[in-house]
Order: sequence, then structure tokens, then C-alpha cells
Amino acid sequence: MAATILDETHEPEKPRKPLQLIAYKVTLTLYRVFAIVTLYAVLAGILSYAFVMGFYAISSSWAAPLILSASDEKSLDFMQKLVISRQSIEDLKVDVVRQQTTLAEMDKYRASLLALDRELQTAILSKQNHDQLTGPELAALDKQKQADNRKTQDVLAEMHQIEAQIKSDLAAGLITKGDAATQLAALNQANTDYTDSRIADVMLSDSILDKTTVGTKTLEVLEKQAELHSDIAQLDVTLSVAEKQLQEDNRQIERLHDAITIAKQSPYFLNTSGDKRLYFAFVPYDNQANATVGAPIYDCYLNMAFCRKVGTVKQIFLGEQVINHPIFKNQVRGLTILMDLPHPESAKSQTVFLGRKPLFF
Amino acid sequence: MAPILLWLIMFLCLVISVVKYLMGLILRLSFPGIKIRKDYTWQPTVSVLLPCYNEGRTVYNSIESISKCNYPNERFEVIAQDDCSVDDSHEWMLKAQRDFTNISIRVGRNSFNCGKARTVCNALQHSSAEIIISIDSDCIFHPDAIRELTACFAEPGIGSVGGRVGVSNPNDNVITAIQTVVYYAAFELYKIPENMTRSVCCISGCLFAIRRELLLEIEPTLRARHWFGIPVNQGEDRFLTHQTLMRGYGTYINNDALCWTAVPTKLSVLFNQQLRWRSSILRDLFYTLRSLPTHVFKLHPNTIFTMILTPLGAVIALLMVITMLSTNPLAWAGPEPLVVYLGIAAAFTWAIKKYSVKETIEHPLAFGAYIAWSLASSLFITPLALLTFDSGDWGTRAKAPEEVPIGRNNP
Repeated sequence: MAATILDETHEPEKPRKPLQLIAYKVTLTLYRVFAIVTLYAVLAGILSYAFVMGFYAISSSWAAPLILSASDEKSLDFMQKLVISRQSIEDLKVDVVRQQTTLAEMDKYRASLLALDRELQTAILSKQNHDQLTGPELAALDKQKQADNRKTQDVLAEMHQIEAQIKSDLAAGLITKGDAATQLAALNQANTDYTDSRIADVMLSDSILDKTTVGTKTLEVLEKQAELHSDIAQLDVTLSVAEKQLQEDNRQIERLHDAITIAKQSPYFLNTSGDKRLYFAFVPYDNQANATVGAPIYDCYLNMAFCRKVGTVKQIFLGEQVINHPIFKNQVRGLTILMDLPHPESAKSQTVFLGRKPLFF
Repeated sequence: MAPILLWLIMFLCLVISVVKYLMGLILRLSFPGIKIRKDYTWQPTVSVLLPCYNEGRTVYNSIESISKCNYPNERFEVIAQDDCSVDDSHEWMLKAQRDFTNISIRVGRNSFNCGKARTVCNALQHSSAEIIISIDSDCIFHPDAIRELTACFAEPGIGSVGGRVGVSNPNDNVITAIQTVVYYAAFELYKIPENMTRSVCCISGCLFAIRRELLLEIEPTLRARHWFGIPVNQGEDRFLTHQTLMRGYGTYINNDALCWTAVPTKLSVLFNQQLRWRSSILRDLFYTLRSLPTHVFKLHPNTIFTMILTPLGAVIALLMVITMLSTNPLAWAGPEPLVVYLGIAAAFTWAIKKYSVKETIEHPLAFGAYIAWSLASSLFITPLALLTFDSGDWGTRAKAPEEVPIGRNNP
């Protein structure tokens, strides 16, 4: 195959018009100026961005000012919870008073029941003692009574003959009718007395039975005593429950008071309760060491340079706060501080610095 | 209005980028008939134009691979044109001319360094073949490459045909592994829907075949390309493809026509290459917008959307990265992007291993680094490309071409 070295040859381009050349030159110059400026601006932007990223990655003194408002969702939520807690305390206090009154009444009632129980017990013992004494005596008397009655019965049996004698005497005219009536009435009285005596005997037997054995009356008394004991026991249980409830309510009140006391230390409470405008800032846990009461606060231009002191740390709140990192935008955990800020405009800065100027100028 | 327009463009960019890959996959699997009708019996005369600048021995290897083509030797020639390389490239070309005598090799040299596009035009002056194949001097060609390219011209209306560019060094390092996946996805999926409508928007300059009469028609325009008087030497492949379409011809990429290139192994070289590509994409966007009515009447809607939304996607990506870095700088560092990218890497690694064994990636996890690269690419390359339109060097080569002063005629 033949090898040929070629020279480049082709038709020359048509010359351009002078006006077009000038237009091209001007456009090119403007483009190049714009390009150089833009590229340097982009370069500066990239370097600044990288520096800011690196700076905030290692900075241990930045804090992010927070402007809290009473109408913030968190503030509203906080105040709502606070109001609910306070209302709960008031409700609990009313409950406690009511429970205390009830407990006092129940104590009184219990005391009266206990007194009644003691009296009943005494009465039972007295009666038992009395029965023990009188029971045997009555039994002896009953035996004697029965003996008397048998004798009376014998006498009454003879009285039938006397009655017949009276009637025969009357018929014989030995006695008057009046005498006869008087004598018959006496006989009848004797029968009546005998009957009374029998009744008394039966009654006496009942009394003896009552005194010497456990009868229905005794059982009724014991039942009443048992009911009394049951009432007291139930009352004890009710009292115990009521006392525990009271203690629990009191503890709950204490807890709510503690919670409210702590809540009153919250920036949200402070922000909504006072008339004075307060300035807060978020401090990530990594920067917590610089957040000490009295530490100076610096606000800087360009987020890090040409800093000036704008205030001091006034108070540190220990409650955890979670916000998005002002630069990286990821979630960061930390705490809140109250700033004494004579320069309120610094509260609107993206970040401030605690303790010292971040770049020493 | 502006946000709505921005969102609309973002949505369309998403459609173009993501949906096109999916479309490519579906079309590949479902419509094998979209492939072009080839006629291997038609064997036109072919001139392989080989513009070269500072390639050293690589150009010799490239010519050697062409000399082994399965195409009748008497039906093709190689025209190697050196663009005033400052190394020994020209000597290697001459050596190739001496060594591979089985084919016709002509070696030429520009009288001054004028860039790739004009070097191709200069080489064209010495060609008389029916089909012109412009190639990159750093590629190794498959023996069937020329045969596969010419066979596609049997379909009437096809003006330009491209080949599939494979990566010869996929496992050199992380950078080459990433590029392997990107190349594979681009050729095997992204360009398939464009192939279907015979309207590929950019045929790679590594392996670019075009009808002679068409190239001759385009050549004056190609040679006269300038940006406010500064000759434009970059992106001649995209320009040629675009011009082919504008002249009513079809464009097609034949993935059976293979060539292999060693992709950049250094970030700086890759950056320059991508900058050159991005610059040509943005130039093409401005050209498209400047003559949009003509495009609308002449081109397939799919082509217009691709031509507009692909470069706009780069601009939107820049805006998105800036927005992301200013609103949530650590968003890219989360696990989600890594999982997405590694998922993509896993799928493509499997496909590459199955269908293109030579490009098998040993460490697919390397693709995770694409997150950082895509950020850098979106953030730096697009603005730099927009602001360096007045630069016209070869990009990855060492020496910049001489700037032609305004008003100076090319010799």
C-alpha cells in the first residue's frame, strides 16, 4: 500500500466584517470578565462554604439564639399543660378537704360504735353474772314452789268436800245463803290462787331457763353484738382506704407542685409570664462546657468573624431541647440558656458564641 | 409561575433520565424488532479518519486493531491526521504505516494545531470513500466494527451510525469502575429509545460512521463553527449527529459494532473530559433553543425532548445540589443515596458480568463513590462549562490548541 504524507489543505474562511469583529470582541471581553468574576465568586463561595462547614464541625462555643413567643406551639402547649396541672391541684385540694371531713365523721361514728360495743359487752357480762347468781336460787325457789303447789292441790282436793258440806248445810238451813256465798267465794279464791301459783311456777321455769341456758334473747343480743363488730370492721376498711386515698392525693398535689415549680423555671414559662422580653439560646451538649452563668456572649459578622460582646449567660435551663443544626440542618440535642442581651438585635443572629471569640477577632 | 416552570422542567428531566432507562430496558426485552435491518452484503468503500493529538503509542495500537478488521482490505483505508502532537504520536503513525501494509494507511499532519473537528475535516479532504468512519485514536476496535457499521447503512434514510464504546480498564480503580457502569447504562439502556425512532442525539466520536455526501454537506458548517469568533473544536460528534438529524437523516447506534477505550484513571483527567462533554452538551442546547421552530418541524418529539431536557437536567441538577447544600448539607451523606446507588451498581454489575464479560467489575461497591462524583459533577462542571465556552482545547490532552485570532483565516 502507498503511504502518503499529507499537508492540510482546505478552502480559507471568508473574512469577517469589521463591525462583526468588534461585536464579537466586545461580547467575548464581557463574557470573559463575567466568567472570571463569576468563577472567582464561585470559588470564594465554595471555599467559604467548606470553611463554614469545617468551622462548625469543630467549633465548641456556638449557640443558636431562640426567639420564643407566647403563641409558639411549644409555649401554648406548655401553658396548656400548666393550666391543666393547676386545675388538677385545685380539684385534688377539694377532694382532700372532702375526704378529710368524711374521715372525721367516720372516726366519730367509729368511736360511738366502739363505745356502744363496750357498753353492750358490759351489759352482757353483768347479765351473765346476775344470771349465774340468780339462776340457781330461782331453781331452788321453783322446786319449793312446786312443792307448795302440790300441797295446795291436796288442800284444794279436800275443798270439794267442804263445798258439798256448805251446800248441804245451806239446804238444811244450818247456814244462811249469805254465809254460804261467802264460804263458796273463799273456796273459789283459793282455786284462783292455786291457778296463779301454777302460772307463776311456769313463769319461773322460763326465767330459770333464760338464766341457766343460752336462749333466744341471748342469741339476739349476741347477733346485735356481731353486727356491731362487722360495722366497725367495715368502717375500719373504709377508713383505711380513705386515708390511703388522702395520702395519695396529698402526694399527687406535692408532685404537681414540684412539677409546676420546675416548670416555672422553664424558658417557656418565663417567656410567657413576664412583661419583659427575654432572650434565649440553644446550646448543644458538645458546647455545654462554655455555657456557664456569667460567660460572655459574642455576636459575629459572617457567622464567625469580627465579633463583639453582646451580653452574658444569665441562666441555664437543664431541660433538653432538640433543634435542627443552624448550618448542617441535622437534629442536635442540647439545652437552653437565658441571655442577658443588651443588644437585642443579636437574638436574630443565626449563631452567637459563648466564652470567647471563635476566631479571636 | 417560575416555581411551576422549574418543577415542570425537573419533572420532564426525571422523565427523560429515569424513564428512558426503564424504557430502554422494556424495549430491549420486549421489542427486539427495533434493531436496524442490516445488510452485510453491501460493502461500500470506507475511509477511517483517525485524528490524533498526543496519543503516543496508543495510536499505533489503534491502527493495528483496524488493520485486523473483517472487511475487505481493498474496500477501506485509514487516514491518520496528526494535529501537531508535541509527543511522538506522528512517529508512531508512520511506524504503523510501515508495519501494517495489508491496508492502505495515509498519514498527514496539520500545519498548526487546530483541534479535533478541523483535523477530521482536514482528513476528509483526502477521502473519496462512500462511508466515512471517524474514530478516536485511543480506541481499540473489534474486528467486526467496520462491517457492523456499514451494514446499518442498508436501511434507507440512515445518515450516521455509531458503535458501542466499551471500557477496557474497568478495574483500574474506583473511577474506572464507575465509568464502566455509566458507559454500559448509556449504550445498553439510555440510547435504546432513541434508537427506536432512529434519532440518537449523540453518537460517540469514538466510532462514528457517516455517509460521505452528508459529511461533505456538513463539513463547511463544522469547520466554520465558532463562538464569537473563537473556533469550536469540542463536541464534533454531537454536532455531527445533530446536523445529521437536522438534514432529515436517521441516526442509530449499533451495539454490535464494538470498540474499547481506556477511560480516565485520574480525577483531573476525568474532570476535564466531563467538562468538555458538558460544554458540548450546553452548546448544543443553545443551538437547539436558537433554532427551536426548525427543530420542532424537522425532528421527532422524542429527539427534541432529549436535546433540550438532557442539558437542562444538568442545569437543574446544579440548582438542586446548591439548594440541597444550603438547606440540608448532610442529606447526601445519609444511607438512602448509598443504598440507591449500590442497588443500581448491583443490577448493572450483574448485567455487565452476564452480557459483557470483558467489562466485569470486580468491586461493585466502588459505585457508592458515584454519590460524591455526581455531586462534584453537578456542582462544578456545569457552571465551569457555562463559563468556559471560549476555551477550545482537546480536554484530556496536554497542550491546548492555538487560539485563532478573530478575523484570522484558517490556512
